[in-house]
Amino acid sequence: MIELINVSKKFNNLQILKNFNMTIDDKKITCLYGPSGIGKTTVANLVSNIISIDDGIIKGIENSMFSYVFQEPRLLEWYSVYDNIDFVLKDIYDSNTRQKKVNNYIDMVELRDYKSYKPKELSGGMAQRVSLARAFAYPSDILIMDEPFKGLDNKLKNEMISSFLKLWSEEKRTVLFITHDIDEAVLLSDTILILNNRPVEIVKKIEKNNYEIKDIKKMLINY
Amino acid sequence: MKISIILNKYKKFLIILFWVLIWEIFSLIINREIYLPSPISTFKALYKLLYIKETYITIIFSSYRTIVGFLLSCVVGIVLGYFCGISRSLYDLFYPLINIIRTVPVMSIIILALMWFKDSNVPIFVAFLMCFPIIWTNTVEGIRNTDVKLLQMCKIYNIKKIRVIKSIYFYSSLPYIKAGTISALGIGWKVTSAAEVLSLPKYSIGRFLYDSKVYLEIPDLFAWTIIIIALSFLFEKVLKLILN
Repeated sequence: MIELINVSKKFNNLQILKNFNMTIDDKKITCLYGPSGIGKTTVANLVSNIISIDDGIIKGIENSMFSYVFQEPRLLEWYSVYDNIDFVLKDIYDSNTRQKKVNNYIDMVELRDYKSYKPKELSGGMAQRVSLARAFAYPSDILIMDEPFKGLDNKLKNEMISSFLKLWSEEKRTVLFITHDIDEAVLLSDTILILNNRPVEIVKKIEKNNYEIKDIKKMLINY
Repeated sequence: MKISIILNKYKKFLIILFWVLIWEIFSLIINREIYLPSPISTFKALYKLLYIKETYITIIFSSYRTIVGFLLSCVVGIVLGYFCGISRSLYDLFYPLINIIRTVPVMSIIILALMWFKDSNVPIFVAFLMCFPIIWTNTVEGIRNTDVKLLQMCKIYNIKKIRVIKSIYFYSSLPYIKAGTISALGIGWKVTSAAEVLSLPKYSIGRFLYDSKVYLEIPDLFAWTIIIIALSFLFEKVLKLILN
């Protein structure tokens, strides 16, 4: 379990977080839901140590490895699909293991025929699936997904969601999933944390198992 | 239709022909070979040069100086440019120095270099000093334009620093470095010839340029100039081939 205890963070004069508390369950998908600009990404970046906290403690991330699916694919334009995934594994596995892993994850996101393509030759949805495969191929304890479906049309979005569910059910990890799309939140999460206000706070915690889907949607629509 | 196709095919040639014709007309009007030699006497001089062994030895030596100066500037420019690109304080430290090198007249540097080095090395040093700021500037620019988002991604995935340099910084700055080396090489040729005129190494295009002034052999001056232009062109072509 990851625990944020009394965490504070300021950007210039903007107090994004003040004495913020949150828990993220192991091997579950926790969703941060809330309006844009409220500080969801900041929370994720603090958890993954991209940015440092001003004050407070984050427990349960000591020696953790992270992988991240960003809003954009963030692939290396000059490398192929295969090499992009291989790139993050090079410091960890020997070449045989890497070859197996990379091929396996490329298959899982159904990009076998595009292995040697450069990111520019892929559609936005495909590129994002490479980024997803990269995140799962990397042996992380915690996976952070920051609005990974943003900007994809419905068909691509559904393809990517099914890729994600396939990968996740095969190898469950702690997932922190950021979105402000109600359907995505309801479909993917075990727990939904609704974030609002400044400094940001958790205004509601929804355990998906305790509610009917349509009730959850009703709760989310107000934010 | 057909005529336009033919015209298109020979367009470059026709344009060159046009300017040579203008040159010819001016030389006829002026009618003094030491002010402006005609294209014909220039090409005659060039033709004569092509039959002398010394011409080729000279070309080899001058090319050697240009290349060494250029390569030195590439190595130092890229390495120093890389570090100045990632560190603001290093950049601030080197910026005034490089800006001075950039603005100091070539002649001052050549004369100073004559005090420091033996004749043959003066052009190399001067070419290095003139090319280096261009490559440095472009490398810094390239490194700075590296996508911060990719660097963040590398941080998340704990990519080793050396691999970040190899796989991110290198490729991101490559287009800038390429452009820098191409313009540096062109300048390298000009500067090497200028430095040779003052330092007069035994085999050098500069010495021939100097002699043509002393003996008022202006067609020779033009012929050697054409050789320099041709070499510069050729080297640029080869460099582009290597870069791609």
